[in-house]
This record gives sequence, structure tokens and C-alpha cells, in this order.
Amino acid sequence: MTNIKKRLSAERRFKFYGQLGVFLSLLFVTLLMLKIFTTGSGAFFRTTIEADVFFDPNFMQVDKNSSDKEISRASFEALADSVVNYNFKDLNEDQFIKVREMFTRRFDYQLRDYFLDNKDDYKKTVKLKITASSDLDQIVKGNYPRNVPEAQRKINDYQLSILDELNKQERIGSTFNFWFFTNGDSRDPETAGIWGAIMGSFYALMVCLAFAFPIGLFASVYLEEYTKPGKITDLIEVNINNLAAVPSIVFGLLGLGMLIGVFNMPFQVPLVGGLTLGFMTLPTIIIACRSSLRAVPPSIRHGALALGATKTQTTFHHVVPLALPGTLTGTIIGMAQALGETAPLLMVGMVAFVMEIPGGPLDPATGLPSQIYLWSESAERGFIEKTSAGIMLLLLFLIAMNLTAVLIRRKVEVKW
Amino acid sequence: MVYLALLLLFIVSYSFYYFGKNRALKIKFTGDQKLASLPDYYGYFLVLVVFLPSLIIWFILLLYKSNFQELYVMSPSLFPDIAQWSDAKFGLIMNKISNLALIVNIPEADLLKGQTSLLNMSSESELIAAKNLASFDNIYGWSIVIVFILLPVILGLSVSRLINQKLNVQPIVEKTIINIIRFSSIVAILVTFGIFFSLIFEAIKFFQYVNFADFFFNTAWNPNRAWVISSGETVDPEILKDAFGWVPLLTGTLLVGSVAMFVAIPLGLASAIYLAEYASSKVRDIAKPIIEILAGIPTVVYGFFAALTLAPMLKNFGDSIGIDISAESALAAGLAMGVMIIPFVSSLSDDVIRSVPNSLRDGSYALGATKSETIKKVVLPAALPGIMGSFLLAVSRAIGETMIVVMAASLRANLTFNPLEPATTITTQIVTALIGDVEFENPKTLVAFALGLSLFVMTLILNIIAITIVRKYREKYD
Amino acid sequence: MNRFLLTYKKGNLIMKKSIVSLFALVVSTLFAAESFARDQINIVGSSTVYPYGTVNAQRLGESGFKTPTYNPTGTGGGMKLFCAGVGVEHPDITGASRNMKSKEAKLCLENGVTNVIEVMWANDGITFSHSNTAEDFALTRNDIWKAMSAHVVVDGEVVENPYSSWNEIRDDLPDYKIEVLVAPPSSGTRDAFDGGVMEKGCELPEEMEDDCVLYREDGRIIEMGENDTLIAQKLNEDNQRFGYFGYSYLKDNGDKLKAASVEGVLPSGETIASYEYPMARPLFIYLKADHIGVVPGIQEFAQMMVSDEAIGDNGYLTKIGAAPMVPELISRVKNVTDNLDAMGFSIEACANKEHPLKDAGYAFSGKLCP
Repeated sequence: MTNIKKRLSAERRFKFYGQLGVFLSLLFVTLLMLKIFTTGSGAFFRTTIEADVFFDPNFMQVDKNSSDKEISRASFEALADSVVNYNFKDLNEDQFIKVREMFTRRFDYQLRDYFLDNKDDYKKTVKLKITASSDLDQIVKGNYPRNVPEAQRKINDYQLSILDELNKQERIGSTFNFWFFTNGDSRDPETAGIWGAIMGSFYALMVCLAFAFPIGLFASVYLEEYTKPGKITDLIEVNINNLAAVPSIVFGLLGLGMLIGVFNMPFQVPLVGGLTLGFMTLPTIIIACRSSLRAVPPSIRHGALALGATKTQTTFHHVVPLALPGTLTGTIIGMAQALGETAPLLMVGMVAFVMEIPGGPLDPATGLPSQIYLWSESAERGFIEKTSAGIMLLLLFLIAMNLTAVLIRRKVEVKW
Repeated sequence: MVYLALLLLFIVSYSFYYFGKNRALKIKFTGDQKLASLPDYYGYFLVLVVFLPSLIIWFILLLYKSNFQELYVMSPSLFPDIAQWSDAKFGLIMNKISNLALIVNIPEADLLKGQTSLLNMSSESELIAAKNLASFDNIYGWSIVIVFILLPVILGLSVSRLINQKLNVQPIVEKTIINIIRFSSIVAILVTFGIFFSLIFEAIKFFQYVNFADFFFNTAWNPNRAWVISSGETVDPEILKDAFGWVPLLTGTLLVGSVAMFVAIPLGLASAIYLAEYASSKVRDIAKPIIEILAGIPTVVYGFFAALTLAPMLKNFGDSIGIDISAESALAAGLAMGVMIIPFVSSLSDDVIRSVPNSLRDGSYALGATKSETIKKVVLPAALPGIMGSFLLAVSRAIGETMIVVMAASLRANLTFNPLEPATTITTQIVTALIGDVEFENPKTLVAFALGLSLFVMTLILNIIAITIVRKYREKYD
Repeated sequence: MNRFLLTYKKGNLIMKKSIVSLFALVVSTLFAAESFARDQINIVGSSTVYPYGTVNAQRLGESGFKTPTYNPTGTGGGMKLFCAGVGVEHPDITGASRNMKSKEAKLCLENGVTNVIEVMWANDGITFSHSNTAEDFALTRNDIWKAMSAHVVVDGEVVENPYSSWNEIRDDLPDYKIEVLVAPPSSGTRDAFDGGVMEKGCELPEEMEDDCVLYREDGRIIEMGENDTLIAQKLNEDNQRFGYFGYSYLKDNGDKLKAASVEGVLPSGETIASYEYPMARPLFIYLKADHIGVVPGIQEFAQMMVSDEAIGDNGYLTKIGAAPMVPELISRVKNVTDNLDAMGFSIEACANKEHPLKDAGYAFSGKLCP
């Protein structure tokens, strides 16, 4: 009976190894997610300083009867300076500069936006939460150390004393940073946002889809249904399969060489980036489509043909609809891969400082992964959390896309 | 304007489908003879007749819009010396006028500083040209809209008159569809083979600088030697001989790949076995997608993780026990890569294991085997070809991985089999050669293609082996 | 059988719906492209100039122009793109952390880029830095060269570099292993470092002059990408390592890194501006004159970059590490930007290694149009 015992304990051990494997894999996922999350979550909040804002007519060029257009053209910088003086009395010139630096550089924009909605506050005093500068924001979040000598800090002693004072008065707060989602890139970390990169990636993916999906689908249908198996089709299939494994940077180089070099397309635009991504995704879609087409049993085709359908009718009315879910799944997964690729974008120039939000595939733009890459290279401390937040967003999109693919697969999957 | 035209085209085409179909149906049900084709074929026929020509004309109009613009706007009466302009100047002035055209009709008070600056920098003729262009664009846009209502309707109506019992549209429609998809596949083939041939073409250029044998059998990799030579100067083949040796890159790639597989195979296979055989479907439904997330995390994240967390951790660990672990060790990169590859092994193996028919398992249980014995002795051997296939896929993924090694591994080639030392891989060198100063005539850049080609061939061989194994040893259980 | 039918119908429906909506979405975004005309300034070039150029670009954008885009290709790569030709598809401005080389001027000439305005807008210092947990280092350029060069002179003979720790070079230096993180060869910073340190600190005989800039290949020189954050991190982890990068980077990481003094001088705004710090070097932007007047804002961009708001005492570029030039150079460059007067710089001259300031006696004069 010891034999049974041995076998049973071997059984237990074996099962344990399996559980260990799953556990470790899940552990890695959790660790990575945790690291990204903890670093990046800070980017979703920005520090604010509560200040009394007196809409002083002496410092304003507009009044409560001005039109919206006049207000958006007017300068609020003098008013911004006056707000600093109003809240911190008796500052000498040097101190004024230092305190002004604690606020975000363009808080005149915040004043203007507020005034556009609240013209009646003209000549009145309100309490507003003004965004703090990135350096202050990082100190408050603890990413900059306080206990190093002043020369090594970006916040000097005087500013620290003001900060402590404000803290005592409970005027330091934090608010949700929706600018991260609505703004384009910026050199001031506190106002930098990812919307421009999202639009750039969006246009690039649309171009990629427009190119790769129809061509991939039609080509697969033709190669699978209308050509006879033979050496040539085998060669084509091997070539396509292999392309799926070529590193993405090679595609980027070909985009650079062919599209920009030969066809003279503009540099830095999502059209070219999208076409390059399309080259990369085409093999994936073809492979997915062909395997879905092959999974449709011959009985379907035979049945249709037996009832008098032509080849085209059989293919498009019967076979393709059944192969479509698999194709869609493959397409979505291919798109997800394309979304996460940095290298092709690097080569066609879609990695640059672009502040304006692109309006179409022909406007200069940057993509989501390349924006993350650029931020990771920036020296300002405030960009570190933005990098991780960008990664979180990218992951979110990827997970959403993959989940959609899985759901589609599950809903419409048929087990023959 | 563009959207309007597109929308109209859609609506018109869509309605013609029904128009044609209904017409055919009417004929079918009032006539006494059979209809030559199925009714909806008439619908498709009309759609093709209406949609395709319009689309093609539209593409042409859009593509050559700038040419028409130039013809209309750039006349010698406005610019007397236009014949002597260089192409560059022409392009620049045309660009300027296009920008001006967008702002000439805006009242001054609404202009931004950049726009007023442009206006101030423009001559009278340029402003006149811009106004002309603005009105041209307006007319152009509206005429497209009108044409795209009239043209489809005229085409559609006149062709629909031809619909009668005898008209057999089915072959026409089908042939057109087949030609469309044939065209697509030609495009696809061109693209895929084009990529392949560009690779070869540029690699051949490289091999004109460096001997085939020198490249593949040399053990020294110092591409910076080719830097000393800049464009315009001839390249000294002697220096180049020792600059591009492929061997250390190959060993580096294999080293990092092996470390990765060391991590991925046990973990991946163990997870696959557990999820396929032991886990309840609830656990499986949750755990499998989560593990697949590992494959979806962008590789830059792994790169950061490997470079900023793993590598220092390993180095400190090594320091504490007295072993010198480099800060750019192959181990760090390999470990990160291994974690990334786990889902490739686990998902695919899981699918393969599940596809082994239950009859085999039942037979084994009936003979008194425990679950683990069944798995070890019956299921795994049956699933082995598929599992091998998944391993090979994972290996080719490991070989082709770029960002992790770029960030975590070294950029310096090192011929070693010790994972504690720094090493570089083929993909890292491809990236290094292509970022920064790119010179398409210099071997320093061209080597990227040669490397890419070697990678291509390696993965090709792996793929072929995988397919052959799977095909040869796969059991058909039906 | 029923389930099968249902799936089949569903598949058909999905097909129709997805194809129509996909097509509509995709084509509509494609045709969102209104025109091919470019009204944004396109800047390429040095990643050292990138932080400054982009801040200036943002300010230009805030003042009513379209914000320029800046693609950090590296000085060498930027020059190639810039000199590829005149026209809408080519960049308008390139940033450089070293002067244009005569070879690059030749390339410009070949491609018809003949009207180029050089704007020397500020100074920067290359710092030789390490973790601030390490001991202080006081080095000379000769020391640095001895640590990094492929060949050194020992007892009168030229040999392969044998030094493995700093105290072998000079007794009073700490016993740290020699390991230096360097920029890739396309980096302008590397070019400037090579010119300012490797050539200046070189001891090799005259016939081997070209080898002065060769780095040793025994693993002690580690080439990093252009990723400064990674370099800073790695310096932090191993406090015996050194790295070189621009002063703005040191400033931003003052809580983690510090610089070695070079010939007694530590890099700072003042020592770089006065060139007392030996590894100071000027920064440039080059403008394509043919594009001025076509793409709005090029002149304004340059004017802003040399204005008092930018490089004055509290200037927004000074604050992030740019060191202003001496007053006569500042007024010279203002003349260049205000009047678009090239003041003696021309592509033809540079292709012949001539530059108006070459004999003006500045510390950087020797390295103009090399």
C-alpha cells in the first residue's frame, strides 16, 4: 500500500506544481500592475492652492458686459499678478517672483476660464483653487525630498516656508486632474495631457484598419476559396506567417524608406504611421482570417453548392459570415498589438513634441506609446508619474480591446 | 462638405439597392417568365453601377485636387516669373497660398497673431491668389456634392431601365466581386513580398561592404568603427572587416532567450496543466485572461521594469554574496522577457491539452492511474507536438523581442554564455543602427537589414520546424 | 440545428453591421484631412536643445501661432533632415548642440539649401557627473581622457588603456573603478564632449591625432541611448560610475546627482556663461531663410529664443539651465534675428570651413564649421 501512498503524494506534488505555476504568473501580473499603479496614480491628481481672487477692475481689460470673444482675447496676466499680491502682502520683488512660481505658470488661463462662466463676479472676491506648479506639486506628493540642501532642490527655502504656512491655513488641496485627459503635451508637467497622443494613435489605427482589414479579408478569401492549393500558395502562406514574427522596427524602417522616401509622404503624420502599422498588421489579419475560413467545415460549402448556389454566393452568404467572428477577433488583437508598438512610430517621426491636438490623419501628431517614451526621457520630475499614468491608460485600452475580442469569440464561437 | 458628399453617396447607393431589388421583384411577380437572376442580385448590380464609378471619380478628384488648384490659381498674370521658379519654391508658395486661403475671408478682429503675421508677409498677388483659391475650393466642394447626387441618380435610373427578365446580372456582379478580391490579394501579396524583398535588397547593399563570411563568422562587433567614416568618404574595407561580427550577437540572443525560456517553460507549462486539468471552469475563466494580460503589457514597461527594478536588485544580491553580477546582465533582461512569454506557452499549451479527447483520459483512469500519472503518461505525450509548437512560437517571440533588451541589456557585444555578464542581442543592434544618425549608404545603418534578414531566416526555420513537427506527429482523433 | 441557424444568422448580421459601420467610421476619419498645407513650424535636431526649444515653442503657441513641433532626432540626424532640401516636406529649423560641420554644409549646398541663418542663442555646459552619494572628484580633462581613451601613453609609449581605477591615473583620486556611461555617436553632446575633452585632454603624438577621440572597447565605456532618465537612474544605483550630459539635466536632478569639478571649476550658470568652466559650449538653431514668410512664426520663434524674457537673468530658458552669452554676442544675435542678417555666416563659407567668428578669439572659436 506504500505504492499507493507514493503515487498519491506524487499526485499531490504534481498538482501543487501546477498551482505554483499559476500562482507565480498571477503574482507577476499583480506586481507589475501594482508598480505601474502606484507610480502613476499621482498623475490623476494635481495640487491646488486656495487663494482669494478679487476681480479687480484696475487689473482687468474686460468687465461683466464684455462678450465671450473679447474675454478670451484679453490678457489676465496682470490680474494673476495682482492675485499673488492680494494673498501675500508686502512681498519684495524677489519674494514676489518666488511666490508666483509656486502657482502654475499660466494660471491666468484658469482665471479667464472662470470669468467666462461667472461674469457676475466682476468686482467681487471669490475663493478659487489655483493649480500649483509642478515643482510644488511634486514636493507635496513627496516625490522631491525636502531634507536636502537648498542648492539641490527645485523649491527654495523661502518657498518651503510659504508652503508650510499655506498648509497650516489648510489652503493646500488636491483636485482631480482632468487636464491629463483633455490637454495635449506641454512642457509644464502639471498641464501636460495625453489627449493629443490618443487622437494621434486613433487616426493611425483608423488608417491601419482601413488598409489592413479589407485587403486582409478579401485577400484571405481569395487565397483560401478561389485558388487551388499548390506551391505558390504555400510560398505565400509561409511568407505571410513569417512576417508576423519580424520585429516591428523593420516595418518602421520600410515605412520610412518606401512611404516617405519613395512616395514622398509627409513626415510625422498619422497617415504614414497608420500605413506602416497596417503593413505590420496585415499578416496577422490574414492568418486569423484564413484559419477561421479553414475552420468552417466543408459541409457548409457543400450544402450551399448542392442547393444550386454559385461559388460567390456560397462564399459570401455562408462561409464568410461564419468566419467573421474569428477574423474580427484576430483583427482586434492585431489592432491591440499595433496600438502598443513604439518602434514603427519612432521611424516615421511620430515621436516629437506636439502640443496641438491633431484634427485629422494629416496633422502632425504623436502616438500613445511614443508620448509615453518621450515623457520617460524628460528630466522634470513631474513627468515620471505622467509616464506611468500613460502606461496605465495604454494598458486599459489594450485590455479593453483584448476583452472585446474574447467576448466576441465566446459569443459567436461555434464548436463544430 | 466632404462628409455631406460621402453621406449622400451612401444613401443614394443604399436606396438604389432596394430600388433595383424591388424592380426585379415587380417583374418577377407580374411577368409570366422566370427572372434571369435572383432579385437581390439586381439590387447589388445597381449598387455597383452607382457606387463604384462615383467612388473612383471621387478618388481621382481628391487626389488631383491640388493639381487643379495649382492650375487655377498659379497663373503667370499674378506671378510673372513663375516659369523660373524651382519646384521647391513653387511648393512653398502654393503652401503659403493654401494657408492664406483659409484666413483671407475672416474679419480682421477675429484673427490670431500667427494669422495676421502671415497676412503681413504676403504680397498683393499672393493675397489675390488666396482669394481665388478660397472661392475655387468652395465651388469645387459644392460641385462634388451636386455631381454626386446627379451622377449616381442618372446612372442608376438609366441602368435600371435595362432591368428585365432576360438581363442576367448575376455573372456580372459575381465577376466584379471576384476581381475586387483578386485585386486585394495582389495588393496583399505585393506588400508582403515587398517587405521581404526590401529587406533582401538593402541587405545585399550591406554585403557589398562586408564579406558574407566576415559577417557571419566574425566574433568582434564594433559598429562604431564605421562611424569614423562619414558620408562622402570611401569606406576602408580593412576596418570594416573587424567591425561587424554576427557571432556575439547570436550568442547574446540565444543567451537571453534561454534565460527567458527557463522561466517561461516551467511556469507556462505548469499553469497550462493546472488550468486545463485541475482548475474549475470559474478559476480558469478568471485566471486565463489575467495571465494573458502579461502578453498585452507593452514591452517598454517590461523594459523599464527590467532596467530599473530587476537589474539593480540582482546586482545588489550579487554584491551581497560576493558574485559580480553586471548591471546590464543578460539575466535581468531574460527574466523580464520570460515573464512576458509565459502566456504564449500557457495559453497555447492549454488549448492543445484540452483538445486531447477525453476518451484517452477515461481509458487511463479506467486502468487505475491517478490524475497526475494520466497527465504525465497519456495526455502530455498526446499533446506533445502542439506543446512543442507553442514552445517554438515562444522562442521566436523571444528572439524577436526588442524593447526589453534595448533598455535592460547592454549595447556592447560580448561573446559569453554566462548570464551574469552583459550581452547584446540582434534586435538591440538593429534598433541602435536605426535610431539617431541614419545613413542609408553607410554600412553602419545597412547592417540593420542584414541583421533583420538573419532574424527573418531564423524565425523562418523555427516556423518550418514547428509546422513539420505538428503536421508529422499530430494524431487525428476523429 | 436551431442553435446553428441562430449563429449563422447572427454572423450574417454582425457582418453587415460591422462592415457598414467600420467603413463609415474609417472613411470619414480619412477624409477629415482637409488640406495638405502645413502651417506649423517643424523643428528637428538636438535632444540637448529639445527642452529649450520646446519651451520656447510652447510660448510661441501661446502667443497666437500654431505651436511648433520638435522631433528630437539628435544633432547629426537633424542636420541630415535639414540639409535634405528646401520645401514644405522639409524641416524649417534644426537645433544643434554643436556647430554645423563643413561636411554638413556641403550636403546642404548639394541639395539647394543655400540660405541658412545661424542663431547662436545660449551656452550649455557638459557635466561629468555621478551620484551625489559618491566622493567628490576634482578632475582635469587629461584625467578624463586617460580614463576613457582607447590608447594612452605610459612611460613614453603608446599602449592600450591599462587603467582600471581612477587612483591609477592620479594617486589622490578615490579608488573607484572606471566606468563611464556615454551617449551614442549621433549625439551632438558626444561630439561636443569629444571635441572639448577627448581632443583637448589628449596626449597622443601628432600622427595619431585622429585616435584621440576613440573610446576604449574593453567594457568600461557603456553606451546608453539618448535616454537621460535611464542614465540618471543607473548613475544613482552604482555610485562609482560617471556619465556626461548637459547642465540642464544636472539641475533637474540636483537631489540625486552632482558634477565633478573640471580643472578646479564646478559647472554653474555663471561659470558656463563666462566659459570659466572648461566644458562649456554654445548651442545653436539654424533657420531656413527660404521658409521664412511661408510658414508663419519662424522669425518670431528665433526672436523669442534670444529675448530677455528667455535668456535674461530670470529668463524661462535660463531657469531650466541655459547659460546666457556675453553681452556683445547677445546683441549680435539679436541683430541676426531682428534683421534676418546672417552676419557673415553662409553655407558656402562653412563648407570651406570658414566662419565669421573663427578668428574672434572666443573659447569656442576653434570649433566652428570644423
